[in-house]
Amino acid sequence: MSAILEVSGVSKRFGGIRAVDGATFSLQCPGIFGLIGPNGAGKTTMFDIICGRHVPDSGEVRFHAERINGVAPYRLAREGLARTFQECRVLPDETCMDNVLFAAQDKRLGREMLQAVSRGTAARRNTGAEARRLLRLINLERYADQPAGALSYGQRRLLEIVSCLMSKPRILLLDEPASGINPTLLNTLRDFLIEIYRETKIVFLIVEHNMEFIMSLASEIVVMHQGRVLAQGAPEQIQSDKSVIDAYLGQS
Amino acid sequence: MRLSYSLIVTVAILAFGALAPVIFKTQPYVLYVLTLALCYAIPVVGVNLLYGYTGLVSLGHMGFAGIGAYTTALLMKSAGMPFLPALLIGAIASGGVGLLVGIPCLRLRSHFFIVVTLAVGMILYTLFNNLDSITGGAEGLPGIPRPQRFSLGSWNMEFRSVSGFYTLTFIVTALVFGLQTLLVRSDFGRSLSSVRQDEALASARGVNVFAHKLTAFALSAAIAGVGGAMKVLFLRAAAPLSFELQESINLIVMLIVGGAGYLIGPLVGAIGFIALPEFLRAAAELRLVFFGFVLLVIARLAPRGICGTVELLFRKLSGKDASVVRHS
Amino acid sequence: MLTVRGLKGGYGGKLIVDGVDLDVAAGEIVTVIGQNGAGKSTILKSIFNMAPVRQGEVALDGKDIFSVSPYQMLTVGLAYIPQHHSVFPKLTIAENLRMGGYLLNDAALLQKRVTKVEGMFPILAQRRNEYAASLSGGEQRMLEVARTLIMDPKVIMLDEPSIGLAPKMVDLVFSTARRLAEAGKAILMVEQNVKAALLASDRGYVLELGQVRITDDAKALIADERVSRLYMGIRN
Repeated sequence: MSAILEVSGVSKRFGGIRAVDGATFSLQCPGIFGLIGPNGAGKTTMFDIICGRHVPDSGEVRFHAERINGVAPYRLAREGLARTFQECRVLPDETCMDNVLFAAQDKRLGREMLQAVSRGTAARRNTGAEARRLLRLINLERYADQPAGALSYGQRRLLEIVSCLMSKPRILLLDEPASGINPTLLNTLRDFLIEIYRETKIVFLIVEHNMEFIMSLASEIVVMHQGRVLAQGAPEQIQSDKSVIDAYLGQS
Repeated sequence: MRLSYSLIVTVAILAFGALAPVIFKTQPYVLYVLTLALCYAIPVVGVNLLYGYTGLVSLGHMGFAGIGAYTTALLMKSAGMPFLPALLIGAIASGGVGLLVGIPCLRLRSHFFIVVTLAVGMILYTLFNNLDSITGGAEGLPGIPRPQRFSLGSWNMEFRSVSGFYTLTFIVTALVFGLQTLLVRSDFGRSLSSVRQDEALASARGVNVFAHKLTAFALSAAIAGVGGAMKVLFLRAAAPLSFELQESINLIVMLIVGGAGYLIGPLVGAIGFIALPEFLRAAAELRLVFFGFVLLVIARLAPRGICGTVELLFRKLSGKDASVVRHS
Repeated sequence: MLTVRGLKGGYGGKLIVDGVDLDVAAGEIVTVIGQNGAGKSTILKSIFNMAPVRQGEVALDGKDIFSVSPYQMLTVGLAYIPQHHSVFPKLTIAENLRMGGYLLNDAALLQKRVTKVEGMFPILAQRRNEYAASLSGGEQRMLEVARTLIMDPKVIMLDEPSIGLAPKMVDLVFSTARRLAEAGKAILMVEQNVKAALLASDRGYVLELGQVRITDDAKALIADERVSRLYMGIRN
């Protein structure tokens, strides 16, 4: 059985800097995976490559055995790859409800023009119930008709994640979801992610700096260092791995 | 159907517009000015679709209006084609040019794109001015015929008189605004809005940003073409000066003053820009000074234009808090 | 020399630094370490009055400097070298050094200081007429330090001075810090490169979520298991 996500020998340089230098790892089954590494490890670039934002100089990324490196982000989204952004992006002028509904909208241009003419609202009605359920899940149902721009940062973060779910993705990529979140709300965020994992049973790949958060959330951790994959394993293994500790503290 | 404020406003405007020939029966000058204003409102709808909803600035849009104008004029004058097909072909021509321009230019980053649209407008103006054999050059095309009489049973409509042509313009404008509403309040319109708000997010959610921008650009060029055609049919003459840079900038001014991103923004802006100065007997030169001043005030105090200010006041009066959602 | 009590700072929204006390004496190197997002850079910015939201007490040599505006900090003796490169790339090295003396009104004093600093960093003297952009990363850091020294500060704060540098350059940066400390300056560093920085330092503070969790002599911290547990996210 092929891996769900397979990264082989990916390299990417920017100017003179080798951000990713022959990185290889694979995610075999559904689960919550963390992608960590000290500053300059290349994890953010690796994440951006998987999301289609950068084209690798060499190597391949395969999603369910299909090559996805070099495919435009909007195509990847339609293939079931959903992602969040480190700076937390939502559509600020739209209501929370519309934000969630938009994720489920069929965005093929032809279909959209057809809908303009046929004025079919059946699709929106059908997904409306699911959208409400998701908003209820994150306690934002009462904000359904408020603009997303009016929410607090933490609320927007949850809205962003829940919007991803609306498109029934096959893989969820989260870019530093804990960043900017009040420490008291981190437990809520963690519990929420665990719950939606239980519901969807898809692959979560989470880039994180907050070690405590990711170690208590992920079932498996991939550690990058200086552009390569240093280690991969369960959190306890990684936490006691000397090469990982040396990577973070710097070798003396 | 729910009785909402926007529905009431729409019906009121349509009623007033339809009855204008009756209301101003003895004041043909008013109808004249209104017709002209509507001829400008149409291209502003195109600019609204492009800027108000998709977030793209085009400083050369009157150039596309010119394509539609000259195409329709030539078909009706030289080829004797009837109004409707000539208008449609004019729209297709300007939309087609919009498509051709959009394909290379929409990939450019925003500031470059804006400069390029400026250049496109100027190039088109130069073409109108210099292709003497086709466009009549600087002197333009005089003697453009009005559409033929239209009969349905015993009901006759003629378009030579001021009120007759006003009615035609009103119908065309209403259809254009109807098209705008259809597009904006659809999945397509929602995708355009997402492109305006956050391109990276739109892509990540599956929107083919380039294709959407291109479609919006072509549609807005086609709509501008319709406006240009109506204008030259009204004035019965086409001249390059109608489509030069200042005119393109006027479109933007009308939209911003009226309210970008609002369905009736173009109408408010065009009436304000064209009709008001006429009725106030202001001299043409002063008009620009006045609107320059108005723009400054708007930029500082009411960036959402007249429609935005009205909506804000409305929310304050109804006690809701003035939130961002401004749709359409 | 530098005394900080109850420092709080943030950028609007939430507080990133949430009650920090620290001291740096003349002639010593103190390093603040901690995870990304712990608030290390924000501490320096808050001390230097460059954080929009801040509270607390900051004193230099006994005098309260909390409300001094950033561009006057150099005149009271506090220097700050930010994380991201801040040489003027289109100016020559000599011009960069002279820019360091922007606040000096005394041309003769400026010349004297430039000469002294060039003596400390011969490579800058050699290449004085080249554009600063032609220097390597480590050399640019040297230039930043040298430029700061024109104002003869008492306290120098460095934000991740070794970031993005090759190991040799890292050594150069830290040995330069040593030299400055030996000359009587108080050095406060914020660093990602934990082991190398602690080896070069006298004392350290370990920051987590905007608060000081551990403080000790640098040597003790290197051996302290709590530090690696913190970095690995192991909760007690």
